[in-house]
Amino acid sequence: MTGSLDSAGLYRLMAWMSPGFPVGAYAYSGGLEWAVEEGRVPDAGGLAAWCRAVVTHGAGRADANFFTGAWRAVDEDDADGLREVLVQAAAQRASREAKLESAAQGAAFLSAVTGAWDIPGLEPWSAILSERGTEIPYVAAVAAVCAAAGIPLREGLTSYLHALAANYISAGVRLIPLGQTDGQRTLAGLFETIEAAADRATAQGDAPWGTAAPLLDLFSMQHETQYTRLFRS
Amino acid sequence: MYDDILPFEPAAAIRREWAEGRAELRFAGKGGVTRLDHLYQHSPLRVLFPAPRGADPVTASLVTVSGGLVGGDRIAVEVAAEERAEAFVHAQAAEKVYRSAGADVDVRVSLSAEAGSWLEYLPQETILFDGSRLVRRTRVDVVPGARLLAGEIGVFGRGASGETWRDGLYHECWEVRRAGELIWKDVLHLDETSVEALSGAFGFDGATATATAVYAGDDPAISLATARNLLAGGGETVISAATLVDDLLVVRWLAREPRALRDAFGKFWAGFRSGIAGLPGALPRLWHV
Repeated sequence: MTGSLDSAGLYRLMAWMSPGFPVGAYAYSGGLEWAVEEGRVPDAGGLAAWCRAVVTHGAGRADANFFTGAWRAVDEDDADGLREVLVQAAAQRASREAKLESAAQGAAFLSAVTGAWDIPGLEPWSAILSERGTEIPYVAAVAAVCAAAGIPLREGLTSYLHALAANYISAGVRLIPLGQTDGQRTLAGLFETIEAAADRATAQGDAPWGTAAPLLDLFSMQHETQYTRLFRS
Repeated sequence: MYDDILPFEPAAAIRREWAEGRAELRFAGKGGVTRLDHLYQHSPLRVLFPAPRGADPVTASLVTVSGGLVGGDRIAVEVAAEERAEAFVHAQAAEKVYRSAGADVDVRVSLSAEAGSWLEYLPQETILFDGSRLVRRTRVDVVPGARLLAGEIGVFGRGASGETWRDGLYHECWEVRRAGELIWKDVLHLDETSVEALSGAFGFDGATATATAVYAGDDPAISLATARNLLAGGGETVISAATLVDDLLVVRWLAREPRALRDAFGKFWAGFRSGIAGLPGALPRLWHV
């Protein structure tokens, strides 16, 4: 399916990827809290570099591939294909907290969508998403629901990556701290990075490309030992 | 040990034929005694059996006799510890991966451990020459009641000759399954399109050495506490951390100086096998060369 985003799709996408959607995104920093504590992200420039690294080389890059794989599996009515993405997306997590960040939001997302939104045709896919209990990778849940709701891959993925970056920027604004305008400048400046990431993921499909950001993985692991913290990751 | 790596590439680099090295080891445990149940080796891989030191389990040492790997070479290592078997498998020397004309070096490591067994797979550094292409897949299969400790170390370029790694492929993939279920996977993928990550502040930040170790056992909380204690005195030059993913212990290191990473990795390994399994808190003599 390569249809365009209609107003019903836009309405749903804006709601689901809004910071107000009840997945608890505000509780996760992806290890940013540790990096700020260590003095590695002292200012807006550092925050922008952090977000670029996440999207270009880190978990955002892997997520873009999982998103593409899950969306296409649903679009092609490939139940086993979606199951395989779920296994991969659940297993490819750098730390206990990274796994929690994905699984807790995934379960909350699916619960909120199925509880409040009427998406014809979603039922068989939500059943597959729930086959492994509450171990539902957030990225795969969003992608599968977008595909079932007729939201095109490219718009869904751009929106997912935007929400990921916006959430970390919001965490950074609180942690560093930064002014709201600096936060918005950072988000505005990430457009090309997110476009490029979405281009690459949708061009290469679900090829197992992996990541190249070991420091982000280490920060996520080290956050587990941070004594005073606001965030769950 | 980095000083004795020649600044030019020896004859192995211009070999025309591709090597297909293979080592298969299966250990069986019976009545508190472990014996080698199956052995197959194909050059350029060779398996040596040094006498275990002190309280060490049955020990096997893996040697690549070709002097290094070139694009197109395929290496397969399969080690299985059956029920109640205890074995220590380690690399005898650092592995060199030479500049490639295009083909990848393909390394497959498959490690499995049955209930009541102990299996260690201790690497040495894999040194990636500039322009080298390595795809390594390490697959670990455990069941509840098995204990398995495995690692890999990657070094970018030959620091002693001023070489850095700027071009090529480093694809390091880990897959760990418990009772057949994939519980952790990690794919490091560096190529010419992502080489900027080597210098990036949140990529490698100039690091030239990276290492991973995993430990699967029935004692995750103890293994995590043991690992964090051992990493705590690591100093400033090596960044390291430990976590539990689905009760699998995952430990990672990153350093600008390969020697410092090797020392930290070795110290961890020796302390961990001692703390968790009561084995000697020392590594094979070859490790200290």
